[in-house]
Amino acid sequence: MKNHVTLEASNITRRYKSSGRGVTGVSLAVGRSEIVGLVGPNGSGKSTLLRVLSTAIEPDSGTFRVGGADGVKEKRKVRARLGLMLDRPTHYDDLSGRANAYLFARSYGMDEEKADRALAELFDYFDLTPYADDRVKTYSYGMGKKLALIEAIAHGPELLLLDEPSLGLDYTSQLAYQRKVRQLAAEGVAVLLASNQVDEVETLCDRVVFLHRGRVLSVGTPEELVSSLEGVKRIVATLRNPVDYGPVANVAGVERVAPEGRDLVVHCEDRPNVVADVVAGIVAAGGEIADLAVRRPSLADVYLELTGEALRDED
Amino acid sequence: MKISRWLQRLDAYWKKDVALFFGKRFALVIKMVYPMALIAPVAASDIPAQYAAAVVGIVAIMAGTFGAGESLTADLNDGILLRIALTPISPRRIVFEILAVNAALDFVQLLPALLLVYVLNPAPLVWVLAATVAVFATLLAANCIGVFIANFTSSPADVLLYATAILVPLIYLSGFFRNQNPTGVLATVRDLVPFAYANDALKAVFGEAARATPLEVLVYPTLIAALMALGVCLTAPRLLSPRL
Repeated sequence: MKNHVTLEASNITRRYKSSGRGVTGVSLAVGRSEIVGLVGPNGSGKSTLLRVLSTAIEPDSGTFRVGGADGVKEKRKVRARLGLMLDRPTHYDDLSGRANAYLFARSYGMDEEKADRALAELFDYFDLTPYADDRVKTYSYGMGKKLALIEAIAHGPELLLLDEPSLGLDYTSQLAYQRKVRQLAAEGVAVLLASNQVDEVETLCDRVVFLHRGRVLSVGTPEELVSSLEGVKRIVATLRNPVDYGPVANVAGVERVAPEGRDLVVHCEDRPNVVADVVAGIVAAGGEIADLAVRRPSLADVYLELTGEALRDED
Repeated sequence: MKISRWLQRLDAYWKKDVALFFGKRFALVIKMVYPMALIAPVAASDIPAQYAAAVVGIVAIMAGTFGAGESLTADLNDGILLRIALTPISPRRIVFEILAVNAALDFVQLLPALLLVYVLNPAPLVWVLAATVAVFATLLAANCIGVFIANFTSSPADVLLYATAILVPLIYLSGFFRNQNPTGVLATVRDLVPFAYANDALKAVFGEAARATPLEVLVYPTLIAALMALGVCLTAPRLLSPRL
């Protein structure tokens, strides 16, 4: 962890009475200039944890501090230090993008001149300047996401909480957003990023926190976590038809089999002919293979190895 | 600074509602025309003062309650209000601004029709002043009811249902149609309903003797509406938290 701690959460528990889901005993810290990825499938507790840390809901137990301010007792102080981007962008659709962003900037206490300067720079950075005075209802989903990101960072937060920030962004915008997050981190901002885009998490994050059924499963740098799968081969078969993949699991050397959407992800020993044997197993199970890839293990594989569950739900 | 530019400079939450009010021209025309369309024929007719006052009072109550409740639940459902509530602005201030600006905008909507009433039905200045203040207090109280209802439902349709359930007894107590000369408990309860004072003042404007004095009409509904506003502002942390 770099420098001093910006976010320190200790034993956060918050369960929903209706579903019993939530988070239990979660402790984590994000240091200044650090980017931490929060990774887990739907229902693992990522959004609940972000809700607690954003002060939207109170924990049943546990404490957290942002820049030294208590997240339960000093909510407004904490809010002033946060930059927040929810997974679904939400704006006043009948107002312009600029008016929305200006409202947020001023709500965070920026003066007129600073707000104007920061917003002009960010609208320009995210290529939204030509649309700044258009009503938000004319924006695409991706433009709405970029606007939400501008609203999250314009006031210069100490801690940035991002929920699936790149979902819905085109490739160029994703790169622009990643550059901006790196730049902010370099300037001292702590970033907690909830995402299931493992490529993004691997390239962007200094550390990764795996959440599983509301609890912290594992913490480490992406390299540490992925290297735990050394000697494991990852075979991804895209199938035209769903199959009973039980027989594939019986192929010699296969450690785990899990569906991810239309893909069947197979973890196996790195031994000669294992790919041919796995393919034969899939074919024998009645699977028609549309595409096949042998890849190096990713964070998604680490998660699968640790929990036996795929990071992304079956489609 | 041009008004359109001013409306884009949202340096306070309440300005957002002003910008949205004036920003949609067709909706603005409808908003300004419908109170006039309902009140002008009444103001120009010679129907009994009791019913003329009732029409003006009920238009004010409906505009205040449904406007605030429905727009608030829509913003809550959309998530934008919860997002605003996660800025350092105090939730109580947000709710206060919602109340104050919506009451003021409702008043702007009603004002032309109200002025027409005063022109067509000349009344002592003190009653004109009392009626104007009481109508504003009615709008504020009605907005309080709308915001209060938004604490219990996230459906704009439910707002209509709950509002009707709350407003019908209050309208009865206020003496718009029945309960004109209440006694005992009904009289005491009537005195606590701010709409009753608007009814009294409007009756006086339309030429009928009022139950309350102009001073009572100026002071009591203002105090009651202020207390209601305070109470509703205290619900702000609950109102502006996620519905889970």
